[in-house]
Amino acid sequence: MLDAGRHPLIDVISNAEVIGCEGKPGDFRVRVRKNKRYVREDLCVACGQCTDVCPVIAGNEFDVGLKARKAIYRPFPQSVPATYVIDPEFCLNLLGHLSEKQIRRLEKIQKVKQRKNLEYSSNILPCGHCTEACEVDAIDFDMQAEETELNVGAVLVAVGFQEFDARKLGNYGYGRFPNVVTSLEFERMLNASGVTQGHVVRPSDMKTPKRIVFIQCVGARGEGGRPYCSRFCCMNAVKDSMLVRQHDPEVEDVTILYTDLRAFGKGFDDFVQRSLDEKSATYIRGRPAKVDIVPEDDTLEVFVEDTLGHEQKRIPADLVVLSVAAAPNDGAAELSEILGIDTDAYGFVSRRDAAVSAVESTRDGVFVCGSAVGPQIIPDCVAQASAVAARAQLFLTGHRVEKHEEPVEPLDVSGKPRIGILVCRCGFNIAGVLDIDDLVQYATTIPDVVAAAGNTFACSTTGQDDLVELIREHNLNRLVIAACTPRTHEPIFRETCAHIGFNPYLFEMVNIRDQCSWVHAGQPLEAQEKARALIRMGVARARQLEPLHEGEVPMMHSALVIGGGIAGIQAATDLAVQGFPVTLVEKDKQLGGRLAKPHLKYLYPNMRPASEVLTAKLKRLKDSGARVLLNTDVESITGYVGNFEVNLKGETEELIQVGAIILAIGADLYDPKDEYGYSKLPNVITSQELETMLVEDDKNVEVAGTRPKSASFVLCVGSRDPEHFPGCSRYCCPTAIKQAILLRRMGMDITIFYRDIRTISTGAEEMYREARGLGVLFIRIPEGDKVQVNGTDHAESVRCFDDLLGRQLEVPTDLVVLSVGMQPKQPDTSKFHDILKLSVGLDGFFMELHPELGPVETTVEGVLLAGTVQGPKDIVDTVAQASAAAAKASVFLAHENVRLDPAVSVVNEEKCRGCGTCAEICEFHAPELVEIEPGTFVARINASLCKGCGTCTSWCPSGAIISRHFTDRQVHAMIDALFSAETPK
Amino acid sequence: MTPTKTKRAKKAKSTQWNPNIVVFACNWCSYAGADTAGVSRIQHEPHFRMIRVMCSGRIQPGFVLKSFEKGADGVLVSGCHIGDCHYIFGNERALEQFDKTKNMVRLLGLEEGRLRLEWISAAEGARFAEVINEFTAQVRKLGPSPLNSDNRKR
Repeated sequence: MLDAGRHPLIDVISNAEVIGCEGKPGDFRVRVRKNKRYVREDLCVACGQCTDVCPVIAGNEFDVGLKARKAIYRPFPQSVPATYVIDPEFCLNLLGHLSEKQIRRLEKIQKVKQRKNLEYSSNILPCGHCTEACEVDAIDFDMQAEETELNVGAVLVAVGFQEFDARKLGNYGYGRFPNVVTSLEFERMLNASGVTQGHVVRPSDMKTPKRIVFIQCVGARGEGGRPYCSRFCCMNAVKDSMLVRQHDPEVEDVTILYTDLRAFGKGFDDFVQRSLDEKSATYIRGRPAKVDIVPEDDTLEVFVEDTLGHEQKRIPADLVVLSVAAAPNDGAAELSEILGIDTDAYGFVSRRDAAVSAVESTRDGVFVCGSAVGPQIIPDCVAQASAVAARAQLFLTGHRVEKHEEPVEPLDVSGKPRIGILVCRCGFNIAGVLDIDDLVQYATTIPDVVAAAGNTFACSTTGQDDLVELIREHNLNRLVIAACTPRTHEPIFRETCAHIGFNPYLFEMVNIRDQCSWVHAGQPLEAQEKARALIRMGVARARQLEPLHEGEVPMMHSALVIGGGIAGIQAATDLAVQGFPVTLVEKDKQLGGRLAKPHLKYLYPNMRPASEVLTAKLKRLKDSGARVLLNTDVESITGYVGNFEVNLKGETEELIQVGAIILAIGADLYDPKDEYGYSKLPNVITSQELETMLVEDDKNVEVAGTRPKSASFVLCVGSRDPEHFPGCSRYCCPTAIKQAILLRRMGMDITIFYRDIRTISTGAEEMYREARGLGVLFIRIPEGDKVQVNGTDHAESVRCFDDLLGRQLEVPTDLVVLSVGMQPKQPDTSKFHDILKLSVGLDGFFMELHPELGPVETTVEGVLLAGTVQGPKDIVDTVAQASAAAAKASVFLAHENVRLDPAVSVVNEEKCRGCGTCAEICEFHAPELVEIEPGTFVARINASLCKGCGTCTSWCPSGAIISRHFTDRQVHAMIDALFSAETPK
Repeated sequence: MTPTKTKRAKKAKSTQWNPNIVVFACNWCSYAGADTAGVSRIQHEPHFRMIRVMCSGRIQPGFVLKSFEKGADGVLVSGCHIGDCHYIFGNERALEQFDKTKNMVRLLGLEEGRLRLEWISAAEGARFAEVINEFTAQVRKLGPSPLNSDNRKR
């Protein structure tokens, strides 16, 4: 958020709504109404003094009303922009809270005042505490709503979702019983910075609940709510059960009442297993009928039928958490109308064809991502958001802006340190606790300090001017600012320094607000002493700082996409349409991967022929101008972001240079070998083989010369199996249901043996319901059990214990279909693991940099993952991820040069013994051993790979590595300074 | 509060010995967690000084030993939770370094309770405050470090 707020090319217009959108893709005119904030964004410094004096208390929306806020407030601590806002509903100066009668009366008084020429102000009930408290005069009660028109090339809808209103399900008692809360309310309690600082309490008496019951699918998957699955709630409940136990040992029992446990994402099943191992929760499969109150002791009781244990249960609870479904936002329908895009039956924004592009709405140039199209988990949201960035480029080409800065003459910073110190008052935030004059006076007594001054707001425009003057007047070559945290403000001050040619690495920040005045307000003497020590330490460090200069290496503006499946095609297309030269290499003789003939007939849920989708994709690829090399493999890759050298081998043998690489080699399908009699019995086939038969003829299926009258599907073959692949393959449940529907329509009797039905994608839950309506039987395989296929020369029946009936079942069948899961593609995964030095996860798939923050990035900068190479996915998610990879690649490619952060590690080759420890421990493979003369090795660190963590520095046995900007000398100077003055008595 | 009472309260406070604690924190998690404590105004003991590095993996034994040498009564090493490291495995390296450091500190004859390792995330402001309070109390109980020069003079 902070990054977006600070980005020079992003304008954040908050407190605003779209009221009109005309024009065509590439040239939209969007009208925006900016609502009244009553606080001027250009002046507010977010000091919070107004909030302190405001007399009105209201419920805080961010904490779902569980916490209070004032009428002038900041919505939440990290909000961007940081500007405060006044809530007209509650402010005494504004009318919102008054009845019409009161307003009329007050207006009359005002008219009288005006006539009699008494002091007139637009305030009716003048309170004015905030106006008085504000030192920068940012509060403006006469502010008017503004309308502006924006000229844009593309529009992105990312309005998210809102919670399903649990009051609609009266039997769960939400709204009637105080101790029935929603998952969001529970989440705010669990949050360390939330309402109760992470302690879970019963709202009725604020005591820690001993027994917590989670009810899943509240308002989801039918029955009085919404028909679809909300995707994130299962894992959220599992996570919460673990967190609450870590935090409050007093919690004795956590029970999760679920329908199916949908742990479909990467590593999710492992997580559930951890919860089972740690016994963080008791899992009961069942949907409760109702929640009732036990009046005697004010506890709750949940009535549920345990469908696996075959008994009616009454579960006592102190707190009941409803995992509520995601519903479309209230304003989504209105916004869709304004933008001229369609919504689906539930009110979510529709996509034209999710398999072709996961982020295109029904209007050209208008995109949609995240939960605006339906419930999503965060990694998918992030991937889609990046995908939009790639797709939207199509309408922005030619408008790409690259920032060119005029070089500034660097100031002379040589010679003995001349240190200047600016101590910020931050209004009262610092000055209210610390004695600023004393700190300034103290600073002047420290050796090498030539100037010290206080400032009301160092970060304001005037503060920055003062800063520049201080540097120039005293000819400073080191600068220390004692203010807030470097994590938010260091970039701002650094920019100011760079602007006047003062090397930004000669500036040091001392945190006397967030980590001093704010947290030691009750002990001003100790706080003052701490601030003095921190300043002393900051000066000591500043004395040791060295000017650093950003390096640059030229960027190759071309990309390589490895793998010509659906992900590779999408990624190559999205990059090529932006004008970057793209090479797509495919080992095989045709493009399309698993979408191509004879692999796939129809795509779920809308039964679109795969060939149609593939044709559309191939046309887009052809039009994009990407270069396609078939029957070609990658031999070797060397180099780093911006400058990779790739050896291609195959039809053409050549060496190409690219700036970025997208890996889209896909996944293998599990080979069941002799499991379930697959290798022996001719009528036991895999789901892939059935699909191939359907490609040939989707009206008749013939196996071993006969047409089967019945068929059984076995799910999770090779998935959710610790021996093969512990995770969920995501695509198999809906695929099996799709195939079952097709076979059922041919007149067959169908039985599906499943472990959990995980129909999570859009339209899949509806398909599941359709299958049940058509008479497809679903039988759950008990935990840890396997089905047995019987028959000697061909399969005759499938035997399984049925939990619902509580006895063994034997289902006669003419055909057994094994729904095989995905597996890492081998030997390709190992090969690219070696060549590119990418990390591979425990499940064997390539590891993303971070599941939420970098779902397509890897530890190697400039190398991105697209599709199932990162983990099992269905086509819609693959396409979204491929576009995301393209977007991330274009971020690199759009730059003129690769910028190298100077605050990285360097090796002093004279000291280096060439032991190779650094090369061993570095996750980014930045250090490399080089033979400088026969038998003599030294380490060299590639600055373009180094991230500057400094771990190698602390591990080097010879002390040969220097972590720039965090050198040993700098840290030791701080320790020395810390203890140099009198120790506190 | 009457003036005499205030005085008495101050006197009572000043008799309590306050330790000197050095906290090493990584930029991305634990330093940020301390900031979060600030934003949420969670009050805690002020007798520590923070030194920021980019990653807990940077915190080498020398930093901790130097702190004790100079007179620290306690040293807290903090980083991201395992699995959350901004640099992937930096904190696991920090853990290995910490084990080495602990052994050296033991060799110096210092109590184990003077050195502590904690994982604190950027969101855990309350946790940060809790750790600081706990650790301060723990070190206060142990009393001044035997390596503290002032203490030696006594």
